[in-house]
Order: sequence, then C-alpha cells, then structure tokens
Amino acid sequence: MNVLRDYIKSLFLLELMRGLALTGRYLFKKKFTVQYPEEKAPISPRFRGLHAQRRYASGEERCIACKLCEATCPALAITIEAEPRADGSRRTTRYDIDLFKCIFCGYCQESCPVDAIVETRLYEYHFENREDAIMTKEKLLAMGDKFEQQLAADIAAQSQYR
Amino acid sequence: MPEIRNYTLNFGPQHPAAHGVLRLVLEMDGEVIERADPHIGLLHRATEKLAESKPYNHSIPYMDRFDYVSMMCNEHGYVMAVEKLLGVEVPERALYIRTMYDEITRLLNHLMWLGTHALDVGAMTMFLYTFREREDLLDCYEAVSGARMHAAYYRVGGVYRDLPDDMPKYENNKFRSDAEIAKKNEVRQGSLLDFIEDFTNRFPGLVDEYETLLTDNRIWKQRTVGIGVVSPERALQLGFSGAMLRGSGIAWDLRKKQPYAAYRKMDFDIPIGHNGDCYDRYLVRIEEMRQSNRIIRQCVDWLKRHPGPVIVSDHKVAPPNRVDMKEGMEGLIHHFKLFTEGYCTPPGEVYAAVEAPKGEFGCYIISDGANKPYRMKIRAPGFAHLSAMDEMVKGHMLADVVAVIGTMDIVFGEVDR
Amino acid sequence: MSDDQMVTIQVDGRELKAKAGTLLIEVTDAAGINIPRFCYHKKLSIAANCRMCLVEVAKVPKPLPACATPVNEGMQVYTRSPLALAAQKGTMEFLLINHPLDCPICDQGGECELQDIALGYGNDASRFVEGKRVVPDRDIGPLIATDFTRCIHCTRCVRFGAEIAGIRELGATGRGEHMEIGTYIEKSVDSELSGNIIDICPVGSLTSKPFLYSARAWELVQRKSIAPHDSVGSSLNLHVRRNQVMRVHPRDNEAVNECWISDRDRFSYEGLYSADRLTRPLVKKSGNWVETDWQEALEAVAQGLKRARGTSGNRLGALLSPGATLEEFYLAQKLMRGLGSENIDFRLRQSDFRAEEPAYPWLGQTIAQLDELNAALLIGSNIRKEQPILGHRLRKAALTGAQISFINPLELELNYHATQLVNSPAGMISDLAAVAKALGGYGGLIDSAEVSDVHHRLAEQLRTAERATVLLGNIAVAHPDYALIQGLARIIAGNSGSLLGYLPEAANSVGGRLAGALPGNDGSNAQEMLSNPHKGYLLMGVEPGFDCWNPARAMETLGQAEFVAALSAFRSQSLEQVADVILPIAAFAETSGTYVNAQGEWQSFSGAVAPAGESRPAWKVLRVLGNLLDLPGFDQVSSEEILAEARQVAGDRKPDNSADGGVAYERLLAGVGLTRIGDVPIYALDPLVRRAASLQKTRDAIEASSRINAREAAMAGLADGDKVVVKQDKNSAKLRVVIDPTVPDGCVRIPAGLVGTDTLGGQIGDVTLEKA
Repeated sequence: MNVLRDYIKSLFLLELMRGLALTGRYLFKKKFTVQYPEEKAPISPRFRGLHAQRRYASGEERCIACKLCEATCPALAITIEAEPRADGSRRTTRYDIDLFKCIFCGYCQESCPVDAIVETRLYEYHFENREDAIMTKEKLLAMGDKFEQQLAADIAAQSQYR
Repeated sequence: MPEIRNYTLNFGPQHPAAHGVLRLVLEMDGEVIERADPHIGLLHRATEKLAESKPYNHSIPYMDRFDYVSMMCNEHGYVMAVEKLLGVEVPERALYIRTMYDEITRLLNHLMWLGTHALDVGAMTMFLYTFREREDLLDCYEAVSGARMHAAYYRVGGVYRDLPDDMPKYENNKFRSDAEIAKKNEVRQGSLLDFIEDFTNRFPGLVDEYETLLTDNRIWKQRTVGIGVVSPERALQLGFSGAMLRGSGIAWDLRKKQPYAAYRKMDFDIPIGHNGDCYDRYLVRIEEMRQSNRIIRQCVDWLKRHPGPVIVSDHKVAPPNRVDMKEGMEGLIHHFKLFTEGYCTPPGEVYAAVEAPKGEFGCYIISDGANKPYRMKIRAPGFAHLSAMDEMVKGHMLADVVAVIGTMDIVFGEVDR
Repeated sequence: MSDDQMVTIQVDGRELKAKAGTLLIEVTDAAGINIPRFCYHKKLSIAANCRMCLVEVAKVPKPLPACATPVNEGMQVYTRSPLALAAQKGTMEFLLINHPLDCPICDQGGECELQDIALGYGNDASRFVEGKRVVPDRDIGPLIATDFTRCIHCTRCVRFGAEIAGIRELGATGRGEHMEIGTYIEKSVDSELSGNIIDICPVGSLTSKPFLYSARAWELVQRKSIAPHDSVGSSLNLHVRRNQVMRVHPRDNEAVNECWISDRDRFSYEGLYSADRLTRPLVKKSGNWVETDWQEALEAVAQGLKRARGTSGNRLGALLSPGATLEEFYLAQKLMRGLGSENIDFRLRQSDFRAEEPAYPWLGQTIAQLDELNAALLIGSNIRKEQPILGHRLRKAALTGAQISFINPLELELNYHATQLVNSPAGMISDLAAVAKALGGYGGLIDSAEVSDVHHRLAEQLRTAERATVLLGNIAVAHPDYALIQGLARIIAGNSGSLLGYLPEAANSVGGRLAGALPGNDGSNAQEMLSNPHKGYLLMGVEPGFDCWNPARAMETLGQAEFVAALSAFRSQSLEQVADVILPIAAFAETSGTYVNAQGEWQSFSGAVAPAGESRPAWKVLRVLGNLLDLPGFDQVSSEEILAEARQVAGDRKPDNSADGGVAYERLLAGVGLTRIGDVPIYALDPLVRRAASLQKTRDAIEASSRINAREAAMAGLADGDKVVVKQDKNSAKLRVVIDPTVPDGCVRIPAGLVGTDTLGGQIGDVTLEKA
C-alpha cells in the first residue's frame, strides 16, 4: 500500500506542489520588506552606532580626559591627549576614535564616568578618504550637539538598567 | 593516446558557497573528487594571542567574532571559563537569560545555516524565509545589547543589563498605512519577553513551512541523502560535536551531559539521526530548532515571574551600577580599577564548554594570577569538522562539496580564529 | 634578650626568622607577605597613624599595626584572619569617607595606593551619605601640584620633609577631620629633593606639576636610565609614551640613590622638548644659518676640519661637554688624535691646570660610605646643590653625629649642623693652609699661615675621627689657585688620615678621563685652547657662553677660529655666534652610552626614545665624521662596541686619587679688591637643565645678579635692587644688586652659566662694581 501511495505522490509531484502552494500564498501576502532608506526598522535605545561626545547644558564639554575609555577600549581605537586648560581644569587636547579599529563594543560609554562619550543611533555613514575614519574631538562634539536630545532621552531611559 | 591527468581545482576563497574564506584545493578525476585539501587561515586574527595582552573583560567582544553567527554562545563559553576560574556564583536570573539567549542564538545560527545551505543546494526561497525570522531574533539581540550581531552582552558574573521593559517600535511612514504600522507594532507593545513569547508562538508554524519546502522535496533529498556519510565511530574519532555528531546517531549534547546555565531545569529533547548523511543532519537541526523554541518558552515563562539581579553584586568582579559609581567613593574606585586594570584571577587552568549551535565551543584558560590570561585556547567545533572535509567528500561529485560545506555549517571566524 | 638575637615567628602559618625587635612589617615585606599600608615607608620614621596595616596577633585582644609592632619569639600573626580583614576593611571605609570622587580627574588614578588597597582590602559599596570635607588648595611651587582634599593624612610628606629633605616645609595642623597638610609659611617647597614627595604620597594629593594631566600610568612604558646631571649617576626610570619622555622616576639603588632622586634629575626632561631643540643640521652660509641635510653638513664639517688642520693637527682643538657619554668621549678623542691633534679637553670650568691631576680621580670612597663618616671637610663645595644625593648622604652622617665642616667662599643654607668657614676665595687658601699647618704640614705658604682656634678645631675633628674625608667641590675646581687647593687638601687629608675625594661636577667627568679625552703630550688644555686661538675647533654639547670658565674669552677665541664645528642638541645663541656648522645630536634619554659616576661605577644605559627629528646620537655622528675624514678604526656599529674598545684602552684602572702635588705654586688670585664668586647655580649646570621650564621657575633658579653683603653694599653706596655695571677684565655686564648675607666681605657673588653673566670673565676673579 505504502509503496503505491509513495508512487502516486511522486508521480504527481505532490511535495513540490505543496511547496509551490506555500510560496504562492506568500505571493499574495503583504510585503515584509522594509522600504529602506525611507522606511527604517525600529532601533533600540541601547543601539551602539557612531560615537558622539556630549556637553553639559552650559555648553561645557563633559569629557574630563580621565582616559578610562582609552584604557578599556579592547581595540585600542581611542587616542587621548590632555593637559590643564587655562582655568586649571583637566581637558583633552585631542580625542580621536579610529573607526577602522573600533569594534563598537560599547565599552567606552560603559566606562565613561560622566556620560561624555556615547554611541548614537546613527549607523549609516561613510568615508571618502582614510583620514575621515578618524573621529576627532570636533567631529564627536558636533555629533553630540546634533543628537543631544535623543542621547539624553536614551540615557535617561536606560538609567534604570545600568 | 592523450595523457590523462587529474584536474586540480581551486574552490574559493572567494566563492559564494565557500561560506566565508574557505579555500579548497580539489583534485578531481573528471567530476569526482579525489582529494580535498582545505586551506585555512585567511581570517586569522590572532584572537587567542591578543587575549593574552588584554584584561579578561576586554576579550568578550572578540568572542562574538569567532563564530559570528552564534555570537552569544561564544561569549558564554568564555565567561563561563573565567567564572570557573574566579569561582563566581552567577545570579539565577542571569542564568536563565543566558539560557534563553543561547537558544535564540541557536535559532539564529540554524536559520542562517538552513537558508544558506538550501541556497547553496538550489532552494532560493528558504534563504528569504529564514532571514525574515532572523530579523525578529536580531531585534531581540539589539533590544538587549544594542548590537544586532556582536553583542558583548554576557559578562563575567552575569549579563550586562536586564531585559528591557519595552521594545522599539516602527514609526509611521508614507509607504504604509498607519493601520499597517500599528499592526506591525502590535507585538512590540509589551516587553522584550512578550515579543519573544510571541515569536515562540509563531515559530513552530514557520518551521513547518520550512519542512514543507524541503523535507520531502525530491531535489533536496537527491542532493543530501547519502551525501557526506560519517559513521558514528568515525564521527567520534574525528572529534565531531553538535549536530554533526548527533546526525551520526550519537546522543551527545553538553546541555544534557554537562548541564550549565539553567539547562538542568529545562525540559527538552535531543534529536539524533541514523545515517550520518547530510539529510539526517538537516533533520536533526530542524528538530533542534523546535526544541530550542521549547526552551525559550520555558525561560520566558520563568523570567516573567522572577525579577532580580542579572550580574553579581561583588564589585571586585563586576562594576557597580552608575548611581553607586557616581555617588560613592568605593563605587568609583571599583569602577575605575575594573575598567582600567580589570580583575585578577587566581592562578590555575580551566576549561569550560558550551553546546554552541555548531557543536562544543570550549575555552581553555591558563592564569598566572594576573589580570589577563597567560594563555587562552579556543576549542571551536568548526575546526574539527572542516578537517573531515577530505574524508567526507572523497568520491563525491563536485556539486556535493557545496552540500557538505553547507552541512558542516562552517564559519571561518572560529576556524581561523 | 639581646637585640640581635634571632626569633621565630609565625605569619599566616608560615615560619619566619627575624632579629628580635624588627618591625613586623619589615619581616613580612622581606618574606613577600603583603600587608596593606599607607603611612609606613621604609626610609621614614614610623608614624602608625593610618591604621591600614592592622593584623591579628595571637593572645592580643585587639589588632595591632604591623608597622609599629616589633617581633618577638613565638609571635603568631594572622594577616588575613577575619579580625584582621574586618579591621582593614573598617580602616579603609573611614579613609574613603572624606576622599573626594576625583579618580577620573586625578593624576594618581591607576597608580594610586588608595585605589589598589581599596580594591584589595576595602568594601565594594559605600555606606556614607553625608557631605565630604573640602580643603583649600595651596600653591607650593612650580614642581608640585597639590589637592589636599584628597589627603588621607598618612604624613609621609611631613616626615619626608623633616627627616630627608631636612626642611620642615610641610606640616600637619588641626586634628581629626580638620587635619590639614600645608606649608608652614605658604611658600614653595624649596628642597632640592622636593620632587620625592610626589612618589611617596600614596594618593593624588601631591602630584607632578609639569606632568599634570598629561598621561596615565598605564600608557607609560618604563625604561631604565642613568641621571645625566651630576656625578652621582642616580638610577632612573624613564616613563615614555609615544616616543616622548613623559616623566622621570627614581629606580631603587641602595648603593647610589636609595629611593630618591634630585629635582634636577626628575624634571630636567622638560628641556628635551624645549622650543630651541635642534632637529636638522645647520650650516652657516654667508652669515645666515640654513637648515640642510646630513650629507651636506657632515661634508662641510669634514672639509672645514681638513682645511683648518692644514699640515698640522695641532691647529685643531676639541672642547667636549663633561656630560657626554664615555663612548662619545672616546670617539671624539680618537677623531682628534686621528687628525694629529692632542688638544682635547672637557674640563671647561677649570682654569688652573698647574697641578698634576690623579689619573682616575673619584670620591675616594663609595657613595654609601658617606653615610658612615665621622668627620668631613668640604672645600669649595655647595654639595647640597651640586650633588644633591651626596648632600643627603652627608646629612645622614651629620644627623648620626658626624662633624661636617666647609671651607667656602659662600655661607651655605644647610639642613644640618656644620662648621662653615666662610672667606673670600683668596682667604680660602689661607684657611686651608692654616688647617694644614695645624695638622703639621709645612712648606710654601703653609709656613706663613696664621692658625686660629677654628682651624685647630677642624684639624682635630679630622684627625680624631675614625672615618674622615676631605672633599673637593666644584667651586674649588673653578678657583684660579686650584693647584694650591689640591695640594693643601692632599696635605690635610694625608696628615689627618682622611680620605681625599673629588666631587666631580658633571655626569661623566670621571668617564672623560677614562676615555682619554684629555690633552696628550704637548696638547693644550681647555684653558689654553680657549685663550690661544686655534684654527679649528670641534665642540660637543658645549654652549661656550654658559659652559666655560671664562665665557667672554671663550667667545672671543672661538670667534677668531677659521672653522668651528659644533655638535649640539639645542640651538643656542652663543653657539650660533661662533660656529660654522651645527650638527644636531641626541640628548639625554635618546642615546645609549655609559657614565662613570663619582664612585667609579661604569653605568651603561640604553636610549629610551628616538632622537628628536633628524638628530642622531653623537657617537654615530663622530663615527661617520671619522669615515669622511678617512681615519682608521671608525667602523663601530653600536655603542657597545665603542664601549668595549674604550674599556680596553682604559684597562683595569682602579679609582685612585694619588698624585704628586705640592704647594709650591704661585698664588694667582691676589684678592686685593673685590673678588667675583661665580658659582654655577643648580639649574644652570648644563644645556638640558637650563631649558627645563619648570625648574627655571623655582627659587633655586637664581637670576643673573650681583650679590653682596650689606657691609660691602654700604661701602660701595649700593642698595638692594640698584643696577650696577660689573667690570671684569675688559668685559662688563649690567646687573641688579641683591643684598645677600651669605657672601663674605670683599666678594661679590655673580653666578655663572646664566643669561646676563655670560658676557663676563672667569668664574672667580677680580671685578669692580660701578653704580649704573
């Protein structure tokens, strides 16, 4: 009996027909595809995208050159140089993140005691020459200024978990 | 009479079916493989050596990059080894989170394997379907760690952060009606656990769909049944693990044999094959997905009922939370020292292994008492599997090489390290 | 129980043997058992006020501080018992209560004993919610940055000041939470060893100001080196980041510098990065300095030397810095001798070469032996500022009862009790002759000396002491009658049974002799070379305006030369005035080499960073010059090879101060009118330290001035702050008058080696003052 049933199944391409029926059904379903770049998938507030440096509300940069991020960066992507500023405070004179080295592990923002270095939700960026892959302090601060609202909201939302 | 020579064919390292950067040197007699010689090392990054120069925690993100389709399982093997060395007791909630994410990772891996394996063999649609499901699972990754692949979420002593109470949602846009977006966001209204639970409810049906497309499909069977047969004895001798071993009929699974995390409390079965061919391994992995789904569901259920800490409260190992760090001197000092020097482990050696989707992923560490390993060695399942390449493809046709590579579920991150 | 009886104690179950009465922490430290501590320091007295080293001792109800508990037979100690751990934890918690949350902005972060011990022995969470204490900061000078809020009151710095530096600069006021560390009179910390409090401070209260915020401990790579400034040759650790010396720390070396270094050795690295660092070869073209490449510059030097040499090597002279390495000395003299010149010298600050000098002059004893002296006579030496570490050793001897006396033209500010015989430079000779006479010396000017009580006393001190020494300092070397001083010192030492010792001026004054960098037969010494113009000169590491005994004459003589080639690490006005080519050479920390210190110890070191810009180690430059001049024996490829060669030449010479010398010399310094005392201030010694910006802001960095005592000022009708024109020989300088009671009658102290005094003549000589 089984042999006969198998023969008939085989003869009428039954399993292939079932498969075609399945794919056929999907043909008439709503498209699952997201229309990137106009439409975007949701992004978690924990997302680890391109870096930014934040400022206090007063406009003073947060970074105090403690170099914890530099020390904790597993990829050695961060280079910091610091010296006393004219007012005696400890500030960086250079803060470079080499995006070729960075592995976006997020340890820098974890280590930062003043929430200065953070990772934004930005994941779409490009470089046109190799030097552009260095996020300098100016670029980082500009990123921070641009996304401050979002960053502050994300950090506030995450504060209960950290 | 013309001289007849064997062809030597370079397969890869830039071949789409080579799953990364495998370079196979194939000696062929016509279309029959006489010898397959895998050349490895094109993705060698000296991670084991690098780990010797970094504090323990700094190597966690590098673990993601071993088998880059089963990220958290690699992390799990590593942090378990360090925890064993330190003698740290991990909070129970963290164990359940790890168990759940290990299984999510297994699904991610098997979906990737299924999609690409089927694609290699000729079934295009599978790839689209499995990547659709992967999207949800990657969202789970992102929700909890902030990264869709290289999570760096497991930490020595637990996991970095607790599961979020809400999921990010789709925003309204001109391509879809608001109703459509609302429908998409329906599953995202609750917490991450609700989202995962919804997934586990849908997933078995989806696996059925995969099976509809493949299990009985004559082309699929022609390409996989009887291909790359490994006897149980040989499988053991070759150091196989995971589905490669179970496909040959050996019931070996570290989750059962050496239960870690919360697996002791989980109710699940270990599928095994009979023939040790590609088809049996396919069946084993399909069933593993169903079993993983079961485990995830049990974890979700437990996690919903048991809030609590997700990382040890001993700040000699795990940094204190932000508030303690910003307000207490002890907290600040421990934060500072942990992020710069890390912690020192007692001298000794340790091996810890997890049942990664591809097999036994083990981490062997020798500590000399410093804040970084004296030596770290990774036992990656793919390496042992790849070394059986010659034996498995000998006598098969060229096209079967692709099927065998697929069934091995090779990822070069872990083979080359 | 006698004191040196051995006892057996048990620490954590381990049996240890120790002398009875040794402190427990010393025993455990020796055995490698770690006990946390803040206030205890092996070189300081015991305070036992931090309470961090509490341990449990069997049969004692309360935990005891290991740093103040002497061991006795059968003592059972538990350093990690629950009681000890609880005590340590409790102490740590109290220490952290008032500690500010400064780790991220504190320079000590990462190398902080408080952090380390908090991690190892403290709680991991804070229970303290009240407000923390704040202590206002004080500015204690250009070298040390303070933040007294971070202070945990271990009082190491206070004890260092009192016991090591010998000045009670820092003290504690108030008690309990209100205790504060401060300088008593809010003035800068003026000890020449002050930098060491940065090292001993366990927290970030006292940190290095030049280093402030510039790097973290974990970024720095530690490389061994040897101090380049004085003849002590202190062992250093250079902390290097990205090819730059970021700071200098002492390296423990009981036989030389113990665990201290002088501020000069610690902060002079700043000079390496001064703006006038020379990074490319310079050639003078029609009166203008042009940067060029090595090829052209080296060829210019070779051509120039060849041209100047003409047919006789005697027309060339080489003047070398006494801070050069042995290898550089060796190659420089080989180069000159290869060219047929015997005119080589490094004794730039010596004017009197009449006496035969010992072949291998040295301290006469090891540096550590200075601790054990019973009596010492220092002649023309400001040892505290010239060789600070030796000064510290001498002070240690003085504190244990040694009789130290000085015969100097200046009254020194000493931090221990000593007899100071202050007289004019000419008077010094008379004093020495009197002491020699009191010791039974005779001949020449000794016979005519008038011996007073104090001379008898000095003589007696030396004669009766078990271990006594007579040391010749840098002011003596600069004395126009140095031959007489040496002769008299030799008689004094011989007749009193003391050891005669030299206190060499620079890092390698001893090495220069061993390498043969001295004039050979018929060769001219530095003084002759700088008085009688030669056709060509080779200068190495010398700034003629600052490094010579008579800068005015040196400039004039060099100006008349046909060709002057200079090897220098820095651009320098005086060099640019006289030289024709300047080749940039590596400075301290950038080259490998060897220094021979005062106790005759050959100390080799390797370069820690690459030379700045295109500069190259001087030995490489000299070696290539040798090749360009077609001289044989210039094929060394490493400084070690040169060292081996130099060692062969030096043979197994042992340090030896003996020489035939008498006192049958004419007195050159009459001392009739006003005599200039041109000592070299501590931070004007060599080109490097002159460029160390922070050191130049200290009080010890004396500005160019003419210092006279009130009596002399009154006689000349001068007041403090007046401008005077100082005339010496045919040179003059306009300087400010400073009333300085340390200057004896008939003298004016005009320090050498400074901008403003570089236009004057010899360091010691007759001058006249005219009100401007």
